[in-house]
Amino acid sequence: MIIFGIPLFGNPPKELCTMIEDKLLILRFKQGRNGALRQIYDKYKVELLKLSIVLTGDVNAAEDMVHDVFVKFAQSADRIRLTGSLKNYLITSVINRTRNYRRDNRRRSEIGLDKVDLVTSAERGPLQWAVLSERLELLSRAMQELPYEQREVISLRMETDLPFRRIARLQRTSVNTVKGRYRYGINRLRSLLNSEVDK
Amino acid sequence: MNSADKIKRLFEKAELGINPNADEKVFQDVFQARQKITTKTPAIPGIWRITMKSPIVKLAVAAVIIVAVLLGINQFGGSGTSVVWAEVARKVEASRGLIFRCTDSTASDEYDYSIAYTSPRYCRKDFYKDGQIIRTAYVDFTGSDTNTLIDVFHIHKLCMTTTFKKSENGLFLEWRNDWTNPSFLVQTILSGEHSKLGRKTIEGVLCEGIETTDPACFGSLPGPVNNLQVEFRLWVSVETGYPVLFESKMSGEYEGQWDESGCVIDQFQWDVELDSSILELNIPPDYEKVQRPGVVGP
Repeated sequence: MIIFGIPLFGNPPKELCTMIEDKLLILRFKQGRNGALRQIYDKYKVELLKLSIVLTGDVNAAEDMVHDVFVKFAQSADRIRLTGSLKNYLITSVINRTRNYRRDNRRRSEIGLDKVDLVTSAERGPLQWAVLSERLELLSRAMQELPYEQREVISLRMETDLPFRRIARLQRTSVNTVKGRYRYGINRLRSLLNSEVDK
Repeated sequence: MNSADKIKRLFEKAELGINPNADEKVFQDVFQARQKITTKTPAIPGIWRITMKSPIVKLAVAAVIIVAVLLGINQFGGSGTSVVWAEVARKVEASRGLIFRCTDSTASDEYDYSIAYTSPRYCRKDFYKDGQIIRTAYVDFTGSDTNTLIDVFHIHKLCMTTTFKKSENGLFLEWRNDWTNPSFLVQTILSGEHSKLGRKTIEGVLCEGIETTDPACFGSLPGPVNNLQVEFRLWVSVETGYPVLFESKMSGEYEGQWDESGCVIDQFQWDVELDSSILELNIPPDYEKVQRPGVVGP
């Protein structure tokens, strides 16, 4: 039985099962089993790539960031103190790198980084990692029309199901502010993607 | 469907493919980054220590008590004035061993249902998926100052043993004591408003039921849950005086999110003498065994 995201008498909800599974994976990984690293990588790569793509609107940059997140994780996993879930840890890593990326590219941003066209799969080289569907390209473009904070809230909520409270913690703001950003973001996306949303 | 739901659906439909060649190259980079780390693996903090430090899990652990209360309803729910319910309390108290099935109404990918075997000194719970046991949890309450949880994850071929000091379990595992303490349960159940449901036949057994929708039966909750709503129904065989069916629905707002759940507990076997082989540890030899002694308090 499950209530409030918590297990009753050892019947863990999916989130807790994931957490237990992740902790087992990390335990095995720390014990030197490379199969565990592969499992972690396979489990989260798509979700992290999607998150990064909708946040940045730049597939190449998103690939680099997620690649970097996994490399850093592999290098530092022994030192990581996982008090929460692995998923949240990786998501936070992507968010931090995205913010750094934006900060480092401020000059580009001043000339309209958020407005650059999405680099689509077809325009990229043979070693492209992520292959975007038309719908994801459309969504990513629309997301770039939102202020970054709204984009972050929408992405985290829609792509990773993070609760508002956690997003608020990540954005160092109040839950109400996050909910406001979410509301405005949804309305704006709705108007931008009107026909697509109703399909 | 509101705008948020539609956008959510759009996100779900926005697919991302992975180029397998590039994927392998990226993974090799990650793998090599790992290989370069030659530092010997430091001591790993206990999984269960980590788990128990988590507020969510503390809440979860505390919620085990709530289950005890729920099962208390199973076992001792009553108006306090009815002869039938007083008899239920007496019979359940005298029950040596108990087997029951628990099915969540909330869809779970992890398992379909679980079967619990309990005795005053041991407890075992098997989690089933597609007819196969995917996980078995054993609890041993017989230690003088420790309780032991042995969790066997069959999919992972992993057996994790955790020892808890009885004095430091917090709420975890102590629920067993509460469960076996009828006066605690009767007191808890009777503290809430409850009503009789009359009689009905369940799988050929004439039953009498009671219902409570009083959240107060939980007592004080271990975390901030708003708008808690509960609906518990217990059906007891008129002939045997033992519970036959327990249904629950709960909902509330936790961490800003609405959450709801429910379960059906049935297939009760009361006052059974459990074969010792059921509660005996059965761990295949090829399973990895992990000890978590660090969980025991400082």
